[in-house]
Amino acid sequence: MNDIIIAADGLSKSYDGKPALRSLRLEVPRGSICGFLGRNGAGKTTTLKLLLGMLRRDAGSIRLFGEAVESEASSIAARRRLGFVSEDKELYPFMNVDQTIRFTRPFFPGWRRDLEEKYLDLFQLPRKKAVPKLSKGMRTQLMLVLAMARGAELLMMDEPTGGLDPAMTEDVLRILADLAASDGTTIFFSSHQLAEVEQICDRVCIIDQGQVVIDGVLDDLKYDYRRILLVFEGTPPRELAGLPGIDHLRQRGRTASLLAHGDMDGLVERARELGPTSVEVRPVTLKELFLDHVRGE
Amino acid sequence: MLWYKAWLETRWRFVFLVGSIVFIWLAPLWLPSFGFRLPQGVPASRIWMGVHLGSVLLYIVAANFLAGSGVNSQTTYAATSGFHGSMLFTLSLPVSRRRLLLVRAGLGALQTSVLVAVMAGYTLLQRPGGASALQAIEYIARAIACTMAVYALSVLMACVLDEMWQFYAACFCWIGFYLLQSRFAAISWISPLRGMSLISYPLAAPMPWAPILASLALAGVFLWASVVVLHRKEY
Repeated sequence: MNDIIIAADGLSKSYDGKPALRSLRLEVPRGSICGFLGRNGAGKTTTLKLLLGMLRRDAGSIRLFGEAVESEASSIAARRRLGFVSEDKELYPFMNVDQTIRFTRPFFPGWRRDLEEKYLDLFQLPRKKAVPKLSKGMRTQLMLVLAMARGAELLMMDEPTGGLDPAMTEDVLRILADLAASDGTTIFFSSHQLAEVEQICDRVCIIDQGQVVIDGVLDDLKYDYRRILLVFEGTPPRELAGLPGIDHLRQRGRTASLLAHGDMDGLVERARELGPTSVEVRPVTLKELFLDHVRGE
Repeated sequence: MLWYKAWLETRWRFVFLVGSIVFIWLAPLWLPSFGFRLPQGVPASRIWMGVHLGSVLLYIVAANFLAGSGVNSQTTYAATSGFHGSMLFTLSLPVSRRRLLLVRAGLGALQTSVLVAVMAGYTLLQRPGGASALQAIEYIARAIACTMAVYALSVLMACVLDEMWQFYAACFCWIGFYLLQSRFAAISWISPLRGMSLISYPLAAPMPWAPILASLALAGVFLWASVVVLHRKEY
């Protein structure tokens, strides 16, 4: 059994000559909940569409479930093992809940009626209700039913909680966490909501301008990265930028704020040699990691 | 189940066409109440010719109308700018784009064939002197075969244009084709538009194989092109 469910290497895609993805490298291990973060236009949806075969890549390789996705046939084989929830949660407006389920069911030999019943009951989705009459939250729930009842090993979701109220968001996150814990389903979802990513994800991948800027286990990242605040008597020295392990440096007046990783003791020692009047080392939040990497300075 | 989806997607469009045809057939009943009456002394054959030409026009309209829905955008009847989100759901299913297109186009072709057969049959029933069973079968078969070229071109248009423009583009193509056929004998000889006409090829004439075969070949080429376009399309 392959332990890497999603593997992309050197993935590139341009629209009309404008690069959307630039040699993107991504690995999502089996059973993980991976949050795919980035600003609008960073390349999140493009990545998901490339993985699903909706777009053609300019360069690079994709492996899903350990198998190379090189042709439509291999993409179809992979799609048989995954579920997708699109950003707008649109389903066929000419069907009702039951018709949508009956339409989807035959495509997946491993469809589980027990799960279909379980989640329909849990979400209290009326089978006869027409899709256009469902709220966005109910459409999300229906898409989750369709994704989970097929026995998907991987759920790919584009902004799964977008447009949902806080209570519904909480329910969806809880179900996703339960699904990963109970069935070992791998969940890969894009989001803008850092709090919800922090709540349920064990991995994060931050993408900016078509490139992965951070990828790893969330706890490891929080452990590895630190914020170092230095106050100087005058303007912070230029040498700060040359210190090893610094990801981002921000200066304001006499203060320098460093986002750094690696040998923290060594770095602090080197920083002290530059003569700050005070040195403070703090843990970082996912929000800080995200903002520092996507804003840059 | 793709057939099921295609049917749900197009059923009201099909019903609308059936309703429209019945409404037109009933024109002799409701037109007089609006003051429309045929002038005295118009020969029955002349009236029938008008009915027949109207039917031929309806073959083309029906084919174009039924080809649109869902071929490209997986939408229902509303004209859209861009794509409907449900298309992403369709594309995430484990099914090839070729199958998606061929099932949807197949159902539309079937619906078109049914409507053409009914309209052609009605035309023959109205014909002064009627038609033998064999003549009726021959004409219905060639009308369906020739309409398939119209239908397949419309499917191709639906693969490259938004639904709002697909209908008009396909109609303009056939207007252009009609103008070409009236200028070039070779095009006229293989024209699907002439092949479906009982004026160009009367019932008593031998089966016009050239337009029939040309129509089927054109339909094949248009469908093949549609599959290629859809296969290369990015969503």
